[in-house]
Amino acid sequence: MITVLIVDDEPLARRDLRRALEKSTDIQIQGECGNAIEAIGAVNKERPDVVFLDIEMPRITGIEMLSMLDHKTAPRIVFLTAYDKYAVDAFEKHAFDYLLKPITLDRLENTLCRLRSDRSPQKIGLLPEVNQLRQIPCFGHHLVLLLKIEEVEYVSSTDAGIYVMNVNGEELPTALPLNVLQERTKLLRCHRQFLVNVESIRKMSFLESGLAEFITQQGHTVPISRRFLPRIKERLGIV
Amino acid sequence: MTMDPLNLLLPLLHQMSLCLLVAYALSRTRLFIPLTRATIRWPQRGACYIVFSLFCIMGTLLGFPVILGIANTPAIGAVLGGLLGGPVVGLAVGLTGGLHRYSLGGSFALAAALDIVAQGLLGGLAHLYLIRRGKIRTLFNPFMAGFLTFVGVVIELFIDLAVARPFNEALNTVGLIALPELVANSVGAAMFMEILVDRRELIERQSNAFSAKALAIAARADGVLHTGFNQENSMRVARIIYDQTGVGAVAITDREKILAFIGIGGDHHLPGTPITSPQTLQAIANNQVFYADGNEVSYQCSIVPNCRLGSCLVIPLVGEDRHVIGTIKLYEPKTKLFSTINRTLGEGIAKLLSNQILAGRYEQQKTLLIQAELKLLHAQVNPHFLFNTLNTISAVTDFDPGKARELIGDLSIFLRNNLKRPAEETSLSEEIEHVMAYLRIELARFSGQLSVDIDIPDAFRSVRLPSFTLQPLVENAIKHGTSQLFKAGRVRISARKEDRDLALDVEDNAGLYERRPDDDGLGISLVDRRIKNCYGNSYGVTITCKRDLSTLVTVRVPAGATS
Repeated sequence: MITVLIVDDEPLARRDLRRALEKSTDIQIQGECGNAIEAIGAVNKERPDVVFLDIEMPRITGIEMLSMLDHKTAPRIVFLTAYDKYAVDAFEKHAFDYLLKPITLDRLENTLCRLRSDRSPQKIGLLPEVNQLRQIPCFGHHLVLLLKIEEVEYVSSTDAGIYVMNVNGEELPTALPLNVLQERTKLLRCHRQFLVNVESIRKMSFLESGLAEFITQQGHTVPISRRFLPRIKERLGIV
Repeated sequence: MTMDPLNLLLPLLHQMSLCLLVAYALSRTRLFIPLTRATIRWPQRGACYIVFSLFCIMGTLLGFPVILGIANTPAIGAVLGGLLGGPVVGLAVGLTGGLHRYSLGGSFALAAALDIVAQGLLGGLAHLYLIRRGKIRTLFNPFMAGFLTFVGVVIELFIDLAVARPFNEALNTVGLIALPELVANSVGAAMFMEILVDRRELIERQSNAFSAKALAIAARADGVLHTGFNQENSMRVARIIYDQTGVGAVAITDREKILAFIGIGGDHHLPGTPITSPQTLQAIANNQVFYADGNEVSYQCSIVPNCRLGSCLVIPLVGEDRHVIGTIKLYEPKTKLFSTINRTLGEGIAKLLSNQILAGRYEQQKTLLIQAELKLLHAQVNPHFLFNTLNTISAVTDFDPGKARELIGDLSIFLRNNLKRPAEETSLSEEIEHVMAYLRIELARFSGQLSVDIDIPDAFRSVRLPSFTLQPLVENAIKHGTSQLFKAGRVRISARKEDRDLALDVEDNAGLYERRPDDDGLGISLVDRRIKNCYGNSYGVTITCKRDLSTLVTVRVPAGATS
């Protein structure tokens, strides 16, 4: 049994793909998502084997969405596109599977065959765009905010989840884990639970205990752990 | 010869007349022009000094001896020099004339020299007085000049009596010369001034006539050639020039053929026929003005030997990059001389027309550019849109073949409208039809995720506006607006009257508008430029974006244009 998630912003396109997939008995459709935000949540929660991922989607494209996933645990991706020569070239180059819409049953069967036989993990990181995160999706009141990295002051991990402090002093929850943010943005890891935007640091104070902490532009305190201190000193040019 | 005042008067008047003759002759030269103004600038004062010093010296030289002195008329030069040139010029003329007189010697020499200096000074002081009082007209009044010279001569006589010795003989001399000198000098000065004033009026009349003609032609020809340098427009311009200048004939040509001809010889100089005159071809080839006055440079019509035209002026019309695009030709018949005014005017007109043609070409190119961009926008049916539509139809076909057929119909309407040559104007209802075809496809594609409100009162449906105005705005509202939302999108299209204009609003609930420098923004900016081009800068597109809430795009067009 192969578990599948369908991600496409057009209801009719989802419906079309669902009907095609339902013809195969060994495919189990876990769900459908209409945008990248929903899809990230579903991938992290449902852990599908395969995601059929549309590229052209609101605010966050399919490829950008991949930059928000942990590549080690990411499902296999089958890209969907109607017209995107540039993306298709990239898929061809790295031998990623893709389907051109409207999908034909022959082509889909081909893809399913390959999925059944080849379970080896995909190297998503080969697509250049997926290693750089431009914006962090955060949940506001009844809406999703896309924070640009420059608007972030620091990110903290608490028992309740991951929170992003923006330059306006608002603390917003995000679904992205700290390690993804650390890997794909210029945010600096200074503590097991903290990432900081170097550009919004106002000063660094050294404490009597030999430890140090950052004070941000807005006056927030961000701790620096003993483990990260030498690396940070080096990065900031403090000897 | 017995010496009595009356006997002296006649030769002195002769002498004065000779002076006036010279003055009249000089008045035809350029040297005289500065004298016709109350001069304040140094170069003109220089001219003033030279002319009047010469008259002063001439007045002295032409005199004849009377007992001790010389009966003569240097007073005219000295007084007028001062009067027209100011105290400095007056004094300079007086000193020059005085020194000259002194060099001639005689017992009256010193007195006479002093006389001239005093007269120059008198003229200068009068100049200063009148200028300060703002009485320029009085300064040029011949009676004033005559009176002043009269006073000058009276002063002269007194100086003579005071300075010349022996007094008795001086008295005799003065007695003899007083009357003739007073009369000859005063009348001479007055008439000299009269010549000056005449000359000034002539110049003014000429330049008035010239500027009036030039202005009339400029005003009437304004914009005629904007719409193109062709036979019809050239004919209109030629008619204007012919009427205003009164020359024998006017022709306008392009590089190859006659575009317009009006006047004498119109029976054989036919518009549409090729240029045959070698002069015109030469003027075009060398970008050179050709002028044949029919006298020094002979002119012969190249078509018919007995053509009545006898002189010709050919001026090239210059377009972009100093490239000659044609000529304008003025003719006079053999019976008439080519006036200098018309010659200068002709060159001015050529410049004016060249500029007009250039401006017209520029306008034309601007319009062409916009049309080309629009064509591009039309032809550029977004491939994403086309493929998405095909997907939608493909998906719908399975479960609702009727709906699929409708969508194919809508796609046909949309494509047909896009492939249609962009007509200049269309009615609002046609625009709405185009937009509706597009919207029905998008509504099917985003089923449930998109809703559209259209509120256009029937009264506005006949308003004319440039085709392809609404569609790019609606497409933009969906592509960069509602389709980027994580929630359901809403687009509202409405029309309202604002003063005398029609305002069309396209509003979305996304509020994601960003000025895009790339081709995505081409749609809105092109619509804006086109409307401004059609109706002026007070019309066009305005955008109000409330971040994450709404984007409102408003198009203003004149509501007056109904079909």
